[in-house]
Amino acid sequence: MENNSIQNILESLNYFTPELALMLTFFVLLLVDLFFRKSKYLLPAISLVGFIVSGYLLVYTPDVKGFLFSTGMTNIGLYVIDPFSFFFKILILLAMIYTILFSLSSKEINEAGGNRGEYYVLLSSFALGMFLLTSTIDLLLMYLSFELVSLSSYILAGFTRNVKRSAEASLKYIIFGAVASGAMLYGISILYGLTGTTNLYLINFYLSNQNIESLPLVIAGLLIIGGIGFKISMAPFHFWTPDVYEGAPITITAVLSVASKAAGFALLIRSLKIMFIDYTATNLQSSAWAILSQFKWNELIAGLAVLTMTLGNLAALWQSNLKRMLAYSSIAHAGYMLTGFVILDNQGIMAILIYFFIYLFMNLGAFFVVMLIADKLGSEEMEDYTGLGYKAPFLGVSLTIFLISLTGIPPTAGFVAKLYLFGALIKAKWIWLAVIGVLNSVISLYYYLKVVKNMFLRESEIEYSHNLGHGNLLITLSLLIPTLLFGIYFKPIIEFAEQSVRIFGF
Amino acid sequence: MMPMKNYILTLTIFLPLIGAVLLLFINNEKKNLLRYFSLIISVITFILSLGLFFGYRDNQVGFQFVTKFEWIKSLNISYHIGIDGISLLLILLTTFLTPITILSTWESIQTKVKEFLFFFLVLETGMIGVFASLDLFLFYIFWEAMLIPMYFIIGIWGGENRIYAAIKFFLYTMFGSLLMLVAIIALGVSAMNQLGYFTTDYTVLKTISSNLLYSTQLLMFLAFALSFAIKVPVFPFHTWLPDAHVEAPTAGSVILAGVLLKMGTYGLLRFCLTLFPQISIDLAPYLSVLGIIGIIYGALVSMVQPDMKKLIAYSSVSHLGFVVLGIFAMTIESAQGALIQMINHGLSTGALFLLVGMIYDRRHTRLISEFGGIAKVVPIYSTILLIVSLSSIGLPGLNGFIGEFLILIGTFKSSVLNSYWYAAFAATGVIFAAVYLLWMYQRVVFGKLENQHNKDLKDLNSREIGLLLPILLLIVWIGIYPSTFLNKSELSIKNILKEVNPTKVELIKK
Amino acid sequence: MTTYDLIFYLFALIILVSAFIVVAARNIIYSAFSLLFTFFGVAGIYVLLNADFIAVVQVIIYVGGILVLIIFGVMLTNKITEVEIKTESFQVLPSIIISGIIGGTLVAIFTKTNWKVAEPQILDKTVTEIGRFLVSHYMILFELAGIILLVALIGSVMIARKEKLETEEVEK
Repeated sequence: MENNSIQNILESLNYFTPELALMLTFFVLLLVDLFFRKSKYLLPAISLVGFIVSGYLLVYTPDVKGFLFSTGMTNIGLYVIDPFSFFFKILILLAMIYTILFSLSSKEINEAGGNRGEYYVLLSSFALGMFLLTSTIDLLLMYLSFELVSLSSYILAGFTRNVKRSAEASLKYIIFGAVASGAMLYGISILYGLTGTTNLYLINFYLSNQNIESLPLVIAGLLIIGGIGFKISMAPFHFWTPDVYEGAPITITAVLSVASKAAGFALLIRSLKIMFIDYTATNLQSSAWAILSQFKWNELIAGLAVLTMTLGNLAALWQSNLKRMLAYSSIAHAGYMLTGFVILDNQGIMAILIYFFIYLFMNLGAFFVVMLIADKLGSEEMEDYTGLGYKAPFLGVSLTIFLISLTGIPPTAGFVAKLYLFGALIKAKWIWLAVIGVLNSVISLYYYLKVVKNMFLRESEIEYSHNLGHGNLLITLSLLIPTLLFGIYFKPIIEFAEQSVRIFGF
Repeated sequence: MMPMKNYILTLTIFLPLIGAVLLLFINNEKKNLLRYFSLIISVITFILSLGLFFGYRDNQVGFQFVTKFEWIKSLNISYHIGIDGISLLLILLTTFLTPITILSTWESIQTKVKEFLFFFLVLETGMIGVFASLDLFLFYIFWEAMLIPMYFIIGIWGGENRIYAAIKFFLYTMFGSLLMLVAIIALGVSAMNQLGYFTTDYTVLKTISSNLLYSTQLLMFLAFALSFAIKVPVFPFHTWLPDAHVEAPTAGSVILAGVLLKMGTYGLLRFCLTLFPQISIDLAPYLSVLGIIGIIYGALVSMVQPDMKKLIAYSSVSHLGFVVLGIFAMTIESAQGALIQMINHGLSTGALFLLVGMIYDRRHTRLISEFGGIAKVVPIYSTILLIVSLSSIGLPGLNGFIGEFLILIGTFKSSVLNSYWYAAFAATGVIFAAVYLLWMYQRVVFGKLENQHNKDLKDLNSREIGLLLPILLLIVWIGIYPSTFLNKSELSIKNILKEVNPTKVELIKK
Repeated sequence: MTTYDLIFYLFALIILVSAFIVVAARNIIYSAFSLLFTFFGVAGIYVLLNADFIAVVQVIIYVGGILVLIIFGVMLTNKITEVEIKTESFQVLPSIIISGIIGGTLVAIFTKTNWKVAEPQILDKTVTEIGRFLVSHYMILFELAGIILLVALIGSVMIARKEKLETEEVEK
């Protein structure tokens, strides 16, 4: 038996290479940082190589494989490789690579001096944690990887030393995060108490064959959703978001708003879908929440989605700090994506995937431009952006396009994202939700336009000139072109998302 | 069909966009080169659209110059364009007004010339695209994409309060059009339920929409109609219009009044009527009443405006009320009248805005009280203003008369509305129009020349006369011989009305 | 109620009371010492569950290691005994209501639910079993825990160094 399980683990490692590559990156960075502290480009270069290698291995991982790390005791393991996790891993890697590239020209990071080593080390552990989150099918592994992601991001959020708001952000993040993961752990323990297993598939098996009281199940579900909801800044667990996003270095804000949210969504979709879906039902759409039929989950989540987007948008209206505004807007976007989760059929999940993929480009783009301008201008206040569009035309136009895309106006990619989301909602007869989403888009238009207005419609006397290096120009273009291109030609994303809705076992 | 014929429409749509992109490569400082270049582009576009005009066979039912490419296969969305008589005339109006407006900015736009012309050409692509789209998805993209250039045109080159006006314009239109998006998707989904595949193709949706539940149809109709009504604007959704018009630069106002507003009425005529015929008939009285309220309200408010531009802006509300009434009276005469009134309004109001813009360039004020007795100082200006005002009022022999007359006749005998009162109330609008326009004309042009600043006003120069002349020509042409244009659209209008309801809608041969 | 139950509740009481003192005490020394009892109580519950190895580890690491470190830290910091820690209470009524509701629900759940009861296993060598699990089924978790601890270590070092840098700058 023992030999068997060891063999099994060794075999599983073949499928685990992308994660191993990230681990290796983590340790190499740690060691290199000890000896070559002064070098500016070495650490980012190593991280980039690590991420790219991991991506390469990811693409060439042999096929779908369920249940990695299973041992003789139970045949169902801890980890799966499926198209669904592949999609999110690609997304996370892209976001991480962009973050590293952003960091190269970020003033905040470069001025951090001696601590820069830890920054890159933690980014790689952050990526590793998110990778694990997207593929885990075991509650214990889920909790541990959740903690890895959280710990790394707490420290990263407070990374810039001497900046008071950064320290405050970090502390707030830790306190909220500790409560959230505590809640999640509590939910996990209730589930374990009910079923005696931590494996999602076994939980599902047990739940669908035994008569379980609904109350503990509902409470457990709520606690787990709450814990994950914290990560994706779902209302009413969103309070940390604006402070942390504003206080953290902008590169970290960018990655938190995209990658960590993506991992949270992947976890949310996978865990709830596997645990609570009745496999025997023929029509998946109507029976998505079959096991918890006593409680109207989809309506609860629809309510939370509405709350999330409306709160996010309304709060964003009053912001004068651009970074804080983007933080609130990212709460709103989480709300839009949650509406896709309400449906939980393939259409809904596909809509979320498409949304994320597009959101990656437009949101990172917006943050990058804001970062470049903030480094030069020393401010993220909207007032200081007055007339900037004429002094730095390329950045101004790029930011405008990113913001228009975030609003969802054609012919930008953001429109396609919203189109698929609302399309899925209408198809599933959630028309009121689609209408609320639409109205929210109108609200969001106002605050996005406020930035555009300050940049182009008002003139100012401030001296400002921006000499964009070739590198930054390329990075901006690499985000800008997809944002425009996918607005007109979006077949590839749709196909990618279509293939990626397959969760192992479905 | 010849291949050339297939691409001429696509070329008409995208030529301005290509021109706009090429514009970016010209040096900022060469302002005249920029102007000439975009003028040439827009003139070529006009010539291309003339090709459409002469190539269009008015004895043929259905869409012509149809081009269809697969675009997004999984959703059955295609690049599907084509025109019938209605779109033809509106496209022509667009391509006709654009070069004139570009010419009108020669002196008034001196800052950020390149950006202005860029947005203007992009706008033209959007406008033509809206009129030519036969796929609702494509339609929506053009519809929305147009908002951005207009936002900047108002916001950057507008008057004092431009930022407020630009944002108001954007938010209002966006609000309506997003609801329309929901309705478009819902239509596509219902197509999937009925036919087994998702589609946003107008020609397909037309066949399935009437099978839907009455309440579903009603909601969809309201979503579409709200979006169009905001754009028209139908009372009570008009509040963005005066702000946008007053603050926009002259060229922006001309295009806004001349073409953008027509997209709303075009949408009502093309999509609301044919997609939801039963609802359209049932709701026709309500919408007609809104139209009439618009006619009277717009006229009354115009009367008390101290600012010429605002006066004309409100008069647009009034004139477009006629168009809405004409569309929902659903007779051949009224609908033809509505279409020709759209063109008329584009010409007359466009010209009025141009004229106000010209005097604003000289005096930097538009207040009526600042003027008076300028007839002797600027005789050419006064003459042209008179002709245009009369055309806007609806003097027989000029274009305005044809449109309003047809609409009133059609409304009078409409069996959908089935009451004389509609026509009776609408007719008061004609009288009011005479009051506010002639009163304005009198206060501006006649009387004693009291204001010293007006003494050395310069009369129109040759460029200004040159750009107004084509408009005047058309004003007279339509007034005397409207058949040139009415013939093109007659069959298409008939066709639409037949689709709405063959029994209730009269199809009397004129 | 058997003696077994009685002992369990005794330990539970110790944990709760001492944990409350940790939070509520105004003097940080009291907090530190009362944490000692919390850790002991937890160890007691482990013993009750037949998890002898974990109980021992709990005492050695938490009580012997971590707590002693904390107390050292507290003692060696200048004048810390005189510092009054803010333990004011805000929003007493709403929080009592909310925690009452949550607590009530949880109690209801715990008393009414049919928990899945694992069959009692008598293992003579728990250490072997734990060891076997850690290198087979839970190997990946074990490794992951290692990385998490490393990250935590890096983080705490960073925070500590930050303080140092700040004070250096002030001295300059």
